[in-house]
Amino acid sequence: MMRLRTPLAWFNLTYERRRLVTALAGVAFAVLLMFMFRGFENALFDSQVQLLKLLNGEVVMVNRLKYSMFIPEQFARRRLYQAQAFAGVEDAYAFYITNANWKNPETQAVRPLRVLAFNPDDPVLPLPEILAHRDQLKLPWTVMIDERSRPEVGPTTAGLETELAETRVRLVGAYALGTDFAAGDGNVVMSDQNFLRLFSSLGPDEDSRDLNTVDIGLLRLSDDANPVAVVDALRQALPQDISIYTKDEFVAVELTYWRENTAIGFVFTLLTTMSFAVGVILVYQILYTDVSDHWKEYATLKAMGYTNFYLLKVVLQQALILGVLGFVPGYFISLVLYRLTANATGLLIQMTLERGLNLLIATVIMCLISGAIAVRKVQTTDPAEVFGS
Amino acid sequence: MTTTPAPSSIPALPDEAIAVRIRNLNYFFGQGELRKQVLFDINLDLPKGEIVIMTGPSGSGKTTLLTLIGALRTVPDGSLKVLGRDIVGMGRSQLVDVRRNIGFIFQAHNLFDSLSAAQNVEMAVELAPNWREKRRQAVAILTQLGLSDRVDYKPKALSGGQKQRVAIARALVNQPPLILADEPTAALDKKSGRDVVTLMQQLAKSEGRTILMVTHDNRILDVADRIVTMVDGRLDSDENLGHFVDTHDPKTLDRRMFIL
Ligand SMILES: Nc1ncnc2c1ncn2[C@@H]1O[C@H](COP(=O)(O)OP(=O)(O)OP(=O)(O)O)[C@@H](O)[C@H]1O
Ligand SMILES: [Mg+2]
Repeated sequence: MMRLRTPLAWFNLTYERRRLVTALAGVAFAVLLMFMFRGFENALFDSQVQLLKLLNGEVVMVNRLKYSMFIPEQFARRRLYQAQAFAGVEDAYAFYITNANWKNPETQAVRPLRVLAFNPDDPVLPLPEILAHRDQLKLPWTVMIDERSRPEVGPTTAGLETELAETRVRLVGAYALGTDFAAGDGNVVMSDQNFLRLFSSLGPDEDSRDLNTVDIGLLRLSDDANPVAVVDALRQALPQDISIYTKDEFVAVELTYWRENTAIGFVFTLLTTMSFAVGVILVYQILYTDVSDHWKEYATLKAMGYTNFYLLKVVLQQALILGVLGFVPGYFISLVLYRLTANATGLLIQMTLERGLNLLIATVIMCLISGAIAVRKVQTTDPAEVFGS
Repeated sequence: MTTTPAPSSIPALPDEAIAVRIRNLNYFFGQGELRKQVLFDINLDLPKGEIVIMTGPSGSGKTTLLTLIGALRTVPDGSLKVLGRDIVGMGRSQLVDVRRNIGFIFQAHNLFDSLSAAQNVEMAVELAPNWREKRRQAVAILTQLGLSDRVDYKPKALSGGQKQRVAIARALVNQPPLILADEPTAALDKKSGRDVVTLMQQLAKSEGRTILMVTHDNRILDVADRIVTMVDGRLDSDENLGHFVDTHDPKTLDRRMFIL
């Protein structure tokens, strides 16, 4: 025995299959556009901080002038030793960064890469592949390459030999990280000793490097130490030539830099808003056509004694059904495109539950706006008009 | 309340016996310069249980009067009592309330293509306070209208006459005391038109409903207890069937229809 009210919205929507499919394709397309633009925006921001998030340490030290990762400013290594003496600080790691040209072992084409160096005995960048190759990294003239570098970097098979900074190096393995704006075409990892071998005696127009100046200092705290308190203590005690942050602060500072100093946020917010508007118009068209086609029936319902509120509910239900049903294919196609984009660009383009839910809500709002505009058509229908014409 | 004395042609009946009582009703369409009067000083009583047919030339105001009685328009002046409630000056939501007690039958069936015959009827049942048995009620009334084997058909799979019968089932299922029909047979052939009207007549007679039906269809005039004629926005004549037939040119009427 049926005890529910007739689901008129559902029946009307699903009666004409072809129209329904077209409608859902429209919604899915708008969802897809929003996911792609949001995805790119998030990817650009996420990519900027993915390396920072992976670094092992609760407290980060950098040169006061280094307000973004791609500012090549170092600080004196003895500051790290000073910090190590503080209560709660268990270990201090030095992390060295520079840029160097990499020769594609296949095409011999030269691409700029970012070099990351540290003592392989310390878990500075604890990626499983890196930890597994510590011993090879300790050999002279060895490097590991990011397999998610841009394709121009060339093959990443272990054992290959090529040139980095015009010096012969041997590839001992690959790890997966991904690129960002400051990384050039990818990241190459080596030991601090090899860093010294490669960059300590560069030509006269280039800044030679040694291990006495550090790009990023990482402090590992004991389990019971409060990072905020340690940071406060260090800020009080250490000279003003360095900035000290908790890891989260450091990531936030980097993100703020990219948000405030680039048009990324603006451009992608604009594009996402435009996709949203396209979606609103599409769904409005669909709903409006449905309402116009059933004008007489809706007016009859009004004559029979149905209220405007009921008709509002029917149209909004249709909008809601379209939104939710259209979201599903849009979501899955986006997942596929995210994967393809990540593979093609090395950008960290990722779907999270929160982002999925946010866009689902946006889609539902998009459809409800369309519904609210379309419903005015039903509300103004005059039930008296169905008589006699 | 005091009502204007009824014109002599209308028998003076007590309020309880009257489904619709209209006094001095005028109606205008348009505003300002374009304002045009379409109904002039209408006085009409529809006693309970009567079938009244309204005829008259095109544009004379029949549909307009029907929509006013049906609480589909706000009525600015005069007096219009429908089922005991004066709808003059009522707001929209009160009018909706009045409409729930009226069964409407239109020239077009206006059924949802996406709903089956039974579901279309159930839409009306759901307006009633107790609609839990809607399927049973819908099937019962469709059966009464001879559609027991068509309850789960979509309108596209029904003939014109069958669709109109579904529309009638929808209008009747809540047992409204008042039924308003505007040319319900216009889209039907002779036979189905006749069937539909006979069904309406049976239902009205067995359950004491009041029916006001606008029609140009001379073949169905015989079901009426009374025939009123509208000319240029005025009720021109109000007479019983015998008188109507006597005073109208017999050649325009198919007399045999009335002998049935
Ligand atoms: N919505 C409206 N706005 C303005 N004028 C209208 C409107 N509806 C009807 N009229 C006018 O009111 C008059 C009466 O119309 P109505 O529809 O009541 O006639 P009718 O008797 O039902 O005619 P028919 O037999 O052709 O259906 C006509 O002159 C018509 O043009
Ligand atoms: Mg008419």
